[in-house]
Amino acid sequence: MLNKFKEEFKKHKLQFISTDLNGIVLETDQTLLPIEKNVDIGTIHPFFFNLSEVLNIEQEKAVFHCIQLGETVEELTVDIEIYRKEDHFLIVIENLTEHYLNYQSLAQSRNETSIDSELVLLKNLELQERERFKNEFIQNFSHELRNPLTNIIALTNILQRSRLTEEQEGILDVLKNATSDLKLMLEDILSIAMIAKGKLALNPSVFNFEQFLEFLRLTYTARAKEKGLDFSISTDSAIPNYLEGDRLRLLQVLTNLCDNAIKYTEKGNVKLQVKLNQKRANTVSLRFSVQDTGLGISTENLDRIFESFEQLGRTEGAGLGLAIVKGLLQLMGSTIAIESTVEEGSHFYFDLKLNFPLHVPEIPNIDNARLKTVRKEKYSVLLVEDNEQVQTSLFKSLIESGEFFIDVVSDGALVMQEIIDSGYDIILMDVNLPNIKGDQLTKVIRSFPFKNIKNIPIVGITANSFEEQLRAYKKAGMNAVLTKPFDELELIKTMRRLLK
Amino acid sequence: MNISKKIVVLGHFGVGKTSLIRRFVENSFSNDYRVSIGVHILKKKVEVSVDETVSLIIWDLEGTDNIAAIRQSYLLGTHGVIYVFDVTRPITFQAIEEDLTALKSKVRNVPMKVVGNKLDMVVEEEVKKVLLENKISFDYLTSAKTGDKVNDLFEQLAKMLTLDAKQI
Repeated sequence: MLNKFKEEFKKHKLQFISTDLNGIVLETDQTLLPIEKNVDIGTIHPFFFNLSEVLNIEQEKAVFHCIQLGETVEELTVDIEIYRKEDHFLIVIENLTEHYLNYQSLAQSRNETSIDSELVLLKNLELQERERFKNEFIQNFSHELRNPLTNIIALTNILQRSRLTEEQEGILDVLKNATSDLKLMLEDILSIAMIAKGKLALNPSVFNFEQFLEFLRLTYTARAKEKGLDFSISTDSAIPNYLEGDRLRLLQVLTNLCDNAIKYTEKGNVKLQVKLNQKRANTVSLRFSVQDTGLGISTENLDRIFESFEQLGRTEGAGLGLAIVKGLLQLMGSTIAIESTVEEGSHFYFDLKLNFPLHVPEIPNIDNARLKTVRKEKYSVLLVEDNEQVQTSLFKSLIESGEFFIDVVSDGALVMQEIIDSGYDIILMDVNLPNIKGDQLTKVIRSFPFKNIKNIPIVGITANSFEEQLRAYKKAGMNAVLTKPFDELELIKTMRRLLK
Repeated sequence: MNISKKIVVLGHFGVGKTSLIRRFVENSFSNDYRVSIGVHILKKKVEVSVDETVSLIIWDLEGTDNIAAIRQSYLLGTHGVIYVFDVTRPITFQAIEEDLTALKSKVRNVPMKVVGNKLDMVVEEEVKKVLLENKISFDYLTSAKTGDKVNDLFEQLAKMLTLDAKQI
């Protein structure tokens, strides 16, 4: 019974052909291909061309899988077995069209997926290569620009101290503003290069959040007013007054967002909002948002705006602001998001987790990144120190002595500019600074071409008490090195000695 | 004089083997990618001189990234080989040396042409530079889409096959 079914089943799927050794058909059925006796089988389909050569004399059998005998796979796709007998060939063709049709759809999706992944990979490689090239270029470029710019600023300051006519003073102001813009742009370029190369590290410390926002309010209310815009800051009263995080980098993020908002808004307002998402034992999650009523960004441009050197409009600047924002927030474990409607405005926002101290620290009522006094009749001191507690105690000691007015810089990278811009009688230099060490900075100052800068007395402050290390600091150019904790009187005596 | 010669066209999947053959045989092209499975065989007569034609029996083999695994039966009686890679996908030519070595051990002493296809999608000079940097030698850069160098490729191979036939 089963054999009968089997026979019946196979009957429709198999064709048997015998040919002589030259490929002339001797016998065949017509199950799959309409082949007549005495024809050259090579004329039926090119597959059968030159059978004797395909199956050489030593070979008794060859099997060919998945041979497409029709125009398409659907038409007729078969397996073919060819047997070499003493004086003829036996050819067996099995119709497996259905089977191979299934295989084809599988192969189609497999290959398409594979090609798509290859293309994605290639695209990524191309993007990475572009980024690498760009970062290398901007790093070299900014490096080359730093030295001449430093000289321009120094010479501008020297000029400013000389006698100038009113017209010359006007020209000098324009020059100072231009160099200041250039300096800011260069700092942006360096930031982006450092972020891209993974060389930028966060430097968290406790800071007064209220003062931090006040600084932004003062800065941007004035800036917005110049363009006839309103600027407002709203905050949540439940946010702790003191937070712990990288104040400078957070400032950099928010100033970039506010700068952009003001730059791209012609009428209406810019709002900076800080909301408390969540408060736990000693952490808070804050939602920062900057919203404007400006030009807005079209959907197709939204993906591009966070790439460095991408500018969607026709404004000044290097187009680095949002790339810096994106990079810095990534470093802080956050992501920038944006909602925007063309001609209605943009809304940039991000969530940030920050720690807060359980006990209110003693921090002077000052902006702790940079503090300037206006009194001019005393010695001017630049205090280069990133630790806020040390900043506070030294600040108090020196102010109370009544002999000094003090500027504070907490980032080593800003020191040179501060010295060139303001000119100091003495520098108190912490050795262990972020980004660049105090002894390295000292070497830079000592190698400066202008006497008024290279000869400024420098007092090193360090927690390191090893003699060898202290000698190395002096060798770097520090006039004196004080080891923490030091006596207030000792500090002032040392300063007086050096200032004589 | 008319002779018939079997050539196989092989390479990674999606490199455009079927498109090259269709361009040569039917002078047609489709942008749709339809996977070839197993073998599809086409035939075209090529005039190599005034009194000489070669009927090329062209075996279009299913693409694979493992040339060494190609069924030996497909290569039986082969007179010439065309190895195709895709100039836009490095993965299809990065292991070309190994592929050709594997191929030469399977099909001995037959003319072989190495072809970079999809030239229409790239800048020719840039591709040549990349291939040179990667030490990839090739015989033709073609475009099945525009037909660029396709006939040259097959006709050149056909000529080589007639020369081979004469030497035999």
